[in-house]
Amino acid sequence: MPRCARNDGWLNMKKILVIDTKAGNLFSIKAAIERLGFETVILDKPNAEFFDGVVIPGQGRFGTVMKNIRDNDWDSYLAEARIADIPILGICVGMQIFFESSDEDKDVDGLGWFNGRACALDFPKKPMVGWASLDSKAWPDAPVYFVNSYAIKDSDISIATTTYGETFCAAVNDDNFTGVQFHPEKSSEAGSRIILQALTDAVGDNR
Amino acid sequence: MIVNSASNQSRNSLMPRIIVCLDVDNGRVVKGTNFKQLRDMGDPVELALAYEQQGADELVFLDISASNENKPTALKLVTEIATHLSIPFTVGGGLKKIDDVKAFLDAGADKVALNTTAVLQPDIIDQTAIAYGSQCVVVAIDVNKSDDALKFYINGGRKLVDQDFNLWTKEVADRGAGEILLTAMHKDGTGSGFDTELTKSVSEQVPVQVIASGGAKNEKHFLDAFNQGADACLAAGMFHSGEYTVGRVKRYLMDSGLQVRM
Repeated sequence: MPRCARNDGWLNMKKILVIDTKAGNLFSIKAAIERLGFETVILDKPNAEFFDGVVIPGQGRFGTVMKNIRDNDWDSYLAEARIADIPILGICVGMQIFFESSDEDKDVDGLGWFNGRACALDFPKKPMVGWASLDSKAWPDAPVYFVNSYAIKDSDISIATTTYGETFCAAVNDDNFTGVQFHPEKSSEAGSRIILQALTDAVGDNR
Repeated sequence: MIVNSASNQSRNSLMPRIIVCLDVDNGRVVKGTNFKQLRDMGDPVELALAYEQQGADELVFLDISASNENKPTALKLVTEIATHLSIPFTVGGGLKKIDDVKAFLDAGADKVALNTTAVLQPDIIDQTAIAYGSQCVVVAIDVNKSDDALKFYINGGRKLVDQDFNLWTKEVADRGAGEILLTAMHKDGTGSGFDTELTKSVSEQVPVQVIASGGAKNEKHFLDAFNQGADACLAAGMFHSGEYTVGRVKRYLMDSGLQVRM
């Protein structure tokens, strides 16, 4: 039952699915994707449509988002999208859920696609709020906007780190999956470029 | 303690922020702005985008919801701003109950600024932080220094609060505020620079970020405040007058050794 497939027709506008985990408003992420010339579809449950990319937005707690993902069968949907090579972009907590667990809700398992967990980091001031530069080959000189108290400390698929008191993983990429700890939808033009790369599968080319 | 000063910024990729404040009434920006390139200088969305283009790191819209009759207009405007702007923005002024806070965050605001309401019903800080996270809660404090004593005020600076200022800054952080917007009333409108001593003392005492506000007239005032521990600086008049662009201030900061977003 392939509910996701690549739409290679250049005549059609590419359609991006934004998963609504009911954890906050989606105006900013929807607008940021649409400014790039994509069409967006927001769904709170999987359907049978074909999409050219999937975005898991960065709002809410780890446990609440994970419960929503499991209750609505998004976990198997995402696994299919992964196999079908559909670009997947996870933002903030929407990236953390693809790892094993989080200090934020210790009794909840993540999807476990990747090794590592989200830790409560020793930031000078909490939460971390503001623009920070990235140490990254993929995205050099691109200050982006962070809002977080938890982050993946280390990852074997890290493509960017940043430092605030301690160094942590700012972005990961593995084939068609890209995860960012920051908020590209709030990161002006630098953020737009990152969303575009993640949704067109071009991140890996720039590692 | 790590602060955003030029000397130790290498351990810290977080950049000092410049925040522009816009006063909104009934869907229009009030208080004169002088952007000759804009067709409609009262349109909050157009002005917001102009400031994003200049390099503003964040925007604050104040008094957006000051009266109840204006609330539908204000909520529609917030959604409009969220749809067009790709930097974070805060709304504040007139949020009287948790339902107001929820309505504005659900409409698309990234953060709310609470001032009078935070003092009168401090639980609203905890409630907002629990429901939406600390990053959504900015507590604004209007403080005045007279005879070397610090006193803080509510109701737009008109009513003295009979509480200790330092204890209040700690309490708001304990209750879950993500940032403190510290306006020095004795500096506001003077053009003599931010109260760097005040910023420094609060910044060292609370575990959250401090936004300095009040008194900015030139680029050097920003450098002084950042070097004294301000995490962000807020200004209005010097940008609205067209005398300075955010970009010009940031270039000066960069030339002075600070890492800012260009």
